Amino acid sequence: MKKLMTALAFTSVAIAGAALPAAAETVVIVNKANPATRMFSEQAAQFFLGKSNMFTPVDQPESSPIRAEFYHKVADKDPAQVKAIWSKLVFTGKATPPKEYPNNAEVKKAVAADPKAIGYIDKSAVDDTVKVILTLP
Amino acid sequence: MKKQLLVASVLAALALQAQAGAMDDGNLSISGFGTLGVAKTNTDQVEFARYNQAEGVQDKARIGLDSNLGLQATYTFNDWLSGTAQVLTRKNTSPTFTTDLTWAFLKAKVNDETSVRVGRIALPGFLISDYQNVGYANTMIRPPVELYAQEPIESSDGVDVNYQHSFGDLNFTAQGFVGVSRGKLFIPTAGGSVATYRAPVSGLAVSGEYGPFVLRFAHLQAKMDTNDLTPINQLVATLSAVGFPDLGNQIAVRDKKIGFNSVGLTMDWKNIVLQTEYAQRRAKDPVYIPDTNAWYTMAGYRIGKVLPYYAHAAYEGHGRSVTFPSRFPTSGALYSTVNSVLTSGEQKSDLIGVRWDFAKSLALKVQVDRVKPTVKTGELNFPKSANVPDVTVVAAAVDFVF
Repeated sequence: MKKLMTALAFTSVAIAGAALPAAAETVVIVNKANPATRMFSEQAAQFFLGKSNMFTPVDQPESSPIRAEFYHKVADKDPAQVKAIWSKLVFTGKATPPKEYPNNAEVKKAVAADPKAIGYIDKSAVDDTVKVILTLP
Repeated sequence: MKKQLLVASVLAALALQAQAGAMDDGNLSISGFGTLGVAKTNTDQVEFARYNQAEGVQDKARIGLDSNLGLQATYTFNDWLSGTAQVLTRKNTSPTFTTDLTWAFLKAKVNDETSVRVGRIALPGFLISDYQNVGYANTMIRPPVELYAQEPIESSDGVDVNYQHSFGDLNFTAQGFVGVSRGKLFIPTAGGSVATYRAPVSGLAVSGEYGPFVLRFAHLQAKMDTNDLTPINQLVATLSAVGFPDLGNQIAVRDKKIGFNSVGLTMDWKNIVLQTEYAQRRAKDPVYIPDTNAWYTMAGYRIGKVLPYYAHAAYEGHGRSVTFPSRFPTSGALYSTVNSVLTSGEQKSDLIGVRWDFAKSLALKVQVDRVKPTVKTGELNFPKSANVPDVTVVAAAVDFVF
């Protein structure tokens, strides 16, 4: 019995371990000069869905998995829904969509360079050039 | 030939899309939207058209009802000033595809919450007025004609101020505008004619967004003036000739103020999508154009990338602003002609459809409308007999953005 439990525990650790890279944590980052210290995901969503101009959103590439996951987690929207929301804003001349950068490192660089920028990257890519204000589960 | 032209323009647009990425890294961004649609009805006794559209569809499949192509360029001068221009190709007041400059403005950002635009701006009279031509941004294939036909003027040259502020979880926006609208109106009486108009306009739209809900109110006032509205001018001349010049002046569309009020609500909660709107048209000066009430409700349920939806739409007359002189006949040909002109059409429709986001930036829609005119011809055009039948419209469309 004990053996079985150990085996089960071992298996579940192995499964969790195997699942980890796919479910890597995404963090929302801002410029170090930004006075904000933490943020709710609904607030972060506002900037990325064109509802607030207080911060300037910086996006990941359109087809990247981290982008699909980010919008799913902060706004419960899939990429097509996000695209439709931006089509409304773009073609009414109300806003321009976030600028896209090719990867975590470039997003981080863009956020570090602009005091008003807000972006999201894989947690493993964080360093002290930017400030983490939200960790997405 | 028309089909080839449209296909060519879609191909050109796609080629442009390939280049757009390269053009985006500077200050210039090029984007576009379009719809390639085909539609037909079940009858040749009457035509179904979008509002202000010269050529509708009957029982032969046509691409002109719903197809369009919009191209937009935005040039960012610096962090507070940008310029945007948009051209739209579609079948509107002329029976062929034509291209109009729909937007052309300079936008100055005053602060994070306020911006001012100067130039040609779409009029935000109703809920989806300013993106009604962007199929991809909408659930239904076309805006419900019952409501959107009540205010056929689309853009104005002038100024608007946009304000956006968050009060906790409530995101508030306000847009005030003033300008002069100029354009064409398609008049579907007799064989059909086109009138040009000029209308100073002003108005205000406010909206509040709270979680999945958006509630929006708008008021728009237009002082309509047209001197080539042929069928009405003929009636005015006749009335003048038979001794009723004052009645003619009441009927004529010369500097006549008309007000539009609307309230709209959208909800996108979990998988449920709702969109509903109520609008009133009210003459502020005596004019032949009848007062109306119009509304629609759409409900959909999202299953992954597929969104089936149902909608009901209707409009009805709400009285008239013209009063007959006491010595005006109460029966006879003259009376019935004038009385008919002053009477609003009425119509109801039910529609079902489905939107499928089948690929990146592409959506396929199939929609069936059942249109029931109840007074006059409703919003249907060119009936072959006095007995206007109910009409079923079947349409399929692919919407794209780039």
